[in-house]
Amino acid sequence: MRLPSLFRRTPFRLTLLFLALFVATASAVMSYVYMASAAEARSRAEASVRAEVETLIGIYRTRGRTALNQTLIDRTLRGDKYLYRLRDETGQVVTANISDIPSGVDSGEWETFRLTVTDDEGRVQRRQSIGIDTPLSGGEHLFVGEDIGDIEAYLERLTQALWMAMILVLVLGIGGGLIVSRRVERAMGRLNRVVSAVQEGDLKVRVPVRNSGDELDELSQGLNTMLDRLEGSMASIRHAGDAIAHDLRSPLTRMRAKMEVALIDAEAGRINGVDALELALGEADSLLKTFNTVLAIARLQAGGAPDPKVFDAAILARDMAELYEYSGEEKDIEFESEIECDLFVEGNQPFLAQALANLIDNAIKYTPAGGAVMFRARRRSDGAIEYSVTDNGPGIPEEDRERVLQRFVRLDSSRTEAGSGLGLSLVTAVAEAHGGRIELDEGPGAFDGRGPGLRVALVLPPASPPEDTAEAE
Amino acid sequence: MRILVVEDDAEAATAMVRGLSEAGHEVTHAVDGAFGLLEAQKGGYDVYVVDRMMPRLDGIGMVETLRKGGDQTPVLFLSALGEVEDRVVGLKAGADDYLVKPYAFAELIARVEALSRRRETGGVQTVLKVGELEMNLIARTVSREGQDIDLQPREFQLLEFLMRHAGQSVTRTMLLEKVWEYHFDPQTNVIDVHISRLRSKIDKGFDRAMLQTVRGAGYRLEA
Repeated sequence: MRLPSLFRRTPFRLTLLFLALFVATASAVMSYVYMASAAEARSRAEASVRAEVETLIGIYRTRGRTALNQTLIDRTLRGDKYLYRLRDETGQVVTANISDIPSGVDSGEWETFRLTVTDDEGRVQRRQSIGIDTPLSGGEHLFVGEDIGDIEAYLERLTQALWMAMILVLVLGIGGGLIVSRRVERAMGRLNRVVSAVQEGDLKVRVPVRNSGDELDELSQGLNTMLDRLEGSMASIRHAGDAIAHDLRSPLTRMRAKMEVALIDAEAGRINGVDALELALGEADSLLKTFNTVLAIARLQAGGAPDPKVFDAAILARDMAELYEYSGEEKDIEFESEIECDLFVEGNQPFLAQALANLIDNAIKYTPAGGAVMFRARRRSDGAIEYSVTDNGPGIPEEDRERVLQRFVRLDSSRTEAGSGLGLSLVTAVAEAHGGRIELDEGPGAFDGRGPGLRVALVLPPASPPEDTAEAE
Repeated sequence: MRILVVEDDAEAATAMVRGLSEAGHEVTHAVDGAFGLLEAQKGGYDVYVVDRMMPRLDGIGMVETLRKGGDQTPVLFLSALGEVEDRVVGLKAGADDYLVKPYAFAELIARVEALSRRRETGGVQTVLKVGELEMNLIARTVSREGQDIDLQPREFQLLEFLMRHAGQSVTRTMLLEKVWEYHFDPQTNVIDVHISRLRSKIDKGFDRAMLQTVRGAGYRLEA
């Protein structure tokens, strides 16, 4: 059961494939080496035999058969490597240092044969030899040969060694393949268990990461990051859903009550039905607005800034400053702006415009008459682009600063003003969707009977300006 | 004005047909893009109001087909999708304006009327005249009853838009979109502030106010 399943595993199959390729290649190389070495050895032996034949024929020509015979005897006694046999014209052997030359050897062609030799230890060997028979002018036949058994033995040992190496490689390869595939299988098993757990709806599971830096680890980390984001998105969607359900109840209840009262009043002829309906319509509109904002926050948190483009944040700042320039006039609030040039950011312009509108609007709303609001856009020393709105209103106590960024949180001091409690939450969501953040600080400080004020900064990572500004659109 | 409403939601369509008829327009209703296309090809309409998501042929497909066929009638897209990219896709397909559901009726009527006016004044104009109010688009000067009025660039743009749509209601959202070219919810009365500054320049000192507030809708410049 274990092995067949193992054979279906990719790492093991890859191992087998590579081993098969290796064996095939090694066999081909070995065969080539064997054949080439054998051919080389044989041609060298042939050349040396031929040279010996030439020498001997020379002796025969110049000094006759007897001298040749004597030479053969001398050389044999001297221990030369050559094999000789000289036959006279009748075919009788005159001299020979070998006995088992194959029959029919007077063909004048190369012969391959087995030479029976008894070595020093008395063992009988049949060694491969080659030789050639040459007819002499007097009708004699001279056979000269050479024992090439050593080369053959060498090649055999070589082949054996290579076979052994191959078997070793196979054993190690299969063993290694087994180990690797077990490891991969275990790692895959971990991933698969996490994936099935997620399929069952459990988003809390994570793959253990061994920090080995291999690709499986990268995959695990990627999967974990993905799960983190997924869990975060799910949580924020769930939270948004809960918040909508919870917070829309009170305005809905209020609207229902107003409509009911209006109905009663209208029936009794106390009020104008149109006025009552207009009131209800206004309530419905503000409810829709709240709903849209919550939805926008949830989308920003789940999916980041939609359709991001590189643009000059300074232009947006100037437009916003111009738009809000006179908004404080009614309350006698001085509105001023300080905007640097060429502040490129990458993002969604409508959402950033909305965020700035919320900040400026808040500042004007919460600053008492006669106060001042300063709007700035600048590049910070660390390169980040910062929009900031500073007022000299009552400010927000330090312990409440985190809290006001959450959805639907309204401080008691602000309950008298109209608002949904979503303004800063949306700004926070916009900042985070752009890889930025929101900073809340004290304003210019308390003096002249005015509160410490508030400074809200929207900090964004800078972007490099587009290549051709004219075509950036 | 003859208006073709292409909308698959029966209730929304009924309300729209009633509201637009009430405002004095002649309205025809088609239940999806394919019927809308057939109806549009009969010709004679001043504005098409097209829902973006419909069965069979959706709004994008319908408008693309119309534009390819050379029909330049202004199109107002209606959509429940309010995302920026949706707006861009809608305008690229050939729509002239884009309104996100749910919308106030005054907004719909104001936009439909603004679209029809756009076609009438297709030619290049150098001088706009509304009653005694005169705007020279080349010299960038404005005068009322011969008295010069000094306007800042944005006030000039704002007045130009109002003059081009004289006699029609224009909403605050329309002004923010068309004059400032921004799409967001300005929360408070920022547009009102700019209107009141403009009003103080063109109406102050004259016995009749031209720039009027339309309750529940926005503003209207009257001759």
